[in-house]
Amino acid sequence: MKSNYLMGAAAIALLAGAAQAQDLKFEPGADARFNWDSFEALKSVDLKGQSLKIDGPWGGVDKELFESVIAYFEAATGADVEYSGGDGFEQRVMIDVEAGSPPGIAVIPQPGLAADLAKRGKLAPLPAETSAWLLENYAAGQSWVDLASYAGPDGTKALYGMFYKVDVKSLVWYVPENFEDAGYAIPTSMEELKALTEQIVADGGTPWCIGLGSGPATGWPATDWVEDMMLRNNTPQEYDAWVSNDMKFNDPKVVTAVEDFGWFARTDANVAGGSGAVGSTDFRDSPKGLFTSPPACYMHKQASFIPSFFPEGTVVGQDADFFYFPAYADKDLGRPVLGAGTLFVITQDSPVAQEFMKFLQSPIAHEVWMAQSGFLTPHKGVNPDAYGDPTLKKMGDILLGADTFRFDGSDLMPGAIGAGVFWTGMVDYTSGKDAATVTADIQKTWDSIK
Amino acid sequence: MEGIVGTKSRLVWAVNLCALVLVLLWTFPTFGLLVSSFRDRDQISASGWWKAMFPAEASVQYRAAGPDTAKLIDGLYVIEGNIFDGGPGEVTAFGTSIREPGAHIVGTDVVTDDGEVVTVAGSGDFRISSTAPMEGTRGMRIFATSVTPAKFTFENYGRVMGAEGIGRAFLNTMTVSIPATVIPILVAAFAAYALAWMEFPGRALIVALVVGLLVVPLQLALIPLLKMHNEIGIGKSYIGIWLAHTGFGLPLAIYLLRNYMIGLPREIIESARVDGATDFQIFLKIILPLSFPALASFAIFQFLWTWNDLLVAIVFLGNSEDQLVMTGQLKNLMGSRGGDWEILATSAFVTIAVPLVVFFAMQTYLVRGLLAGSVK
Repeated sequence: MKSNYLMGAAAIALLAGAAQAQDLKFEPGADARFNWDSFEALKSVDLKGQSLKIDGPWGGVDKELFESVIAYFEAATGADVEYSGGDGFEQRVMIDVEAGSPPGIAVIPQPGLAADLAKRGKLAPLPAETSAWLLENYAAGQSWVDLASYAGPDGTKALYGMFYKVDVKSLVWYVPENFEDAGYAIPTSMEELKALTEQIVADGGTPWCIGLGSGPATGWPATDWVEDMMLRNNTPQEYDAWVSNDMKFNDPKVVTAVEDFGWFARTDANVAGGSGAVGSTDFRDSPKGLFTSPPACYMHKQASFIPSFFPEGTVVGQDADFFYFPAYADKDLGRPVLGAGTLFVITQDSPVAQEFMKFLQSPIAHEVWMAQSGFLTPHKGVNPDAYGDPTLKKMGDILLGADTFRFDGSDLMPGAIGAGVFWTGMVDYTSGKDAATVTADIQKTWDSIK
Repeated sequence: MEGIVGTKSRLVWAVNLCALVLVLLWTFPTFGLLVSSFRDRDQISASGWWKAMFPAEASVQYRAAGPDTAKLIDGLYVIEGNIFDGGPGEVTAFGTSIREPGAHIVGTDVVTDDGEVVTVAGSGDFRISSTAPMEGTRGMRIFATSVTPAKFTFENYGRVMGAEGIGRAFLNTMTVSIPATVIPILVAAFAAYALAWMEFPGRALIVALVVGLLVVPLQLALIPLLKMHNEIGIGKSYIGIWLAHTGFGLPLAIYLLRNYMIGLPREIIESARVDGATDFQIFLKIILPLSFPALASFAIFQFLWTWNDLLVAIVFLGNSEDQLVMTGQLKNLMGSRGGDWEILATSAFVTIAVPLVVFFAMQTYLVRGLLAGSVK
């Protein structure tokens, strides 16, 4: 009788195993690029019958990709994890948290929002081991810990979140064959980039496509430009001071950075459609200028996500490629990289949520997404060969090779600035207002909300 | 006399013209949306929909087959093909460098820097030949100025209709909107009768309160209402969203129905009272059948509103697979950053189908019902 029972249990376990294996994108143990040990280790955690809800900003393709990662957690632990996400996440999570029906884990793109939730006591702090782990295993670990440490409701600072999935912003996209036809070389310093810009104009071409349009968020691509220019004209410490407003927004250093962006965007000949078109061109349509014939422009500066807006059939790495948005050779500020990322926070504490956060520390959670598309990680313990295509690997190298990594400053500033007057101010600037006035106006708003 | 007749006809003309202009103003963007829904994303970003109907002159680039496919013919390595891939179109000029995409007229032989000879014919047929074996991994780019006939695609409709979970989302929306239309009508009909025909103290005050509620924006109630649902244990569920839609719809429903009912002839109701009918009988046998136009018109309004709603559904229902409504599903289709305009245009026409059926089925009532309360 007992052996019968055991046989039955074994059969069920086998069947369950088979059913789970079908859902997994890469068969466990098959591909040597993956750290299957970390997957096997996870099997010791038993979470059968427990469920976890995750809400986040990813919809469409990203949602499917993240679900393929979740499948491994479910297969190993037996927990039931449901990811539901998409557009309008910021409003949704605020309503849910306020009304008392938060998801288990929230995936937050803006650290500022997480800091706000932590202050109101809506987030569960992560155990101390996590910050030690981050310091040891993430490239530029300290900056990731700092970005996710906030004051709680009682004012004590603690780590509340963990970054998973990172975007690199300091990239310039171009069409290699256009460069080849025209005989241009990839610039390795800002001086060379400016010289190339002037040369393209002299040759009768248009160097840049810049589009700031993004519906209600119009202006944000310009904030990335300014942030990159801040990092190339000033030390990382000065950048941090600017983000926290210890350095005034209308400080001469900031004005210089804004004007450095203006050097590219406010000269009619430098931009497709003239500088007047910068504010009105949609950022999603802007990169298409690279691929027209004759080319509307030769270069486009945008984050690592932009290939999804290239014309259909474009092969990244062949039809289009990117180079690092270079630093000034004579300023000795290293190779700064600007980026952004999504932060996982626990909005409703439970054992399964804690285990999921631990799962995100295992290499396999990163490698499964890396091997597909659109995923970068600062995790030093993962196998870089797992990157699904050479382009991703190249971006990953930029990330790992950064002397300085700084998070998108506008996401760290208060919402009224970083998602408000900074955007509109930059649109004003590109349409002709001078940098000193624009930055002084932004500082005035910042003073008023303090 | 003649002058008056003249002005009158001129006035009629003016009115008709105004009506025509208004109709055009309303339908023109919709027509544009319809045209856009048959174009792919690259077409939409390249030119406006009004250009979609005409043959387009465009600068195209075509990548020839790779060097490894070259055939050896009479001592020459040759790659042949058609830049329209056999489709219709006409080439007027071509080039081999992005610097001069239209430098040569069709039919001429062009020698590239690598020593390859390229020629393109008006039909789009091209021939690349070389005396030495061709090198490299990718095919040559050929640029051409071409005229291609108008092109439309059904692919967008295929994508929207065939999207995963769209059928489920359709059922979810139906599950939300049908009860969310029926419940408020039931409640509001009773309330409207009481406010119109039953004498009790404070009646006018209640009517004023209901009218006042029309002004309150529903966004104000989202968080407190969801909090209440969580506390009494409804949480995020269909019951929750029915209650929410009922609450948000009631003020307008009561106001509309009361105004209609109060316009019904007093004599009928009083004679029924004299004959010994109770209030409930009067409501059921006399008022309800007579108010059918008003009920129908409100039903259309409420159905359209719940059908199109995204905000209330996301807040009170959640966005997991088995609860996501159609609007939410379509929003996800537009991609993480919302750049797929063609999906937006197409989904507009897909979602419009059911409300159109409802509207035409009840249209005659709507016209009568719209007069509700306005003429006494």
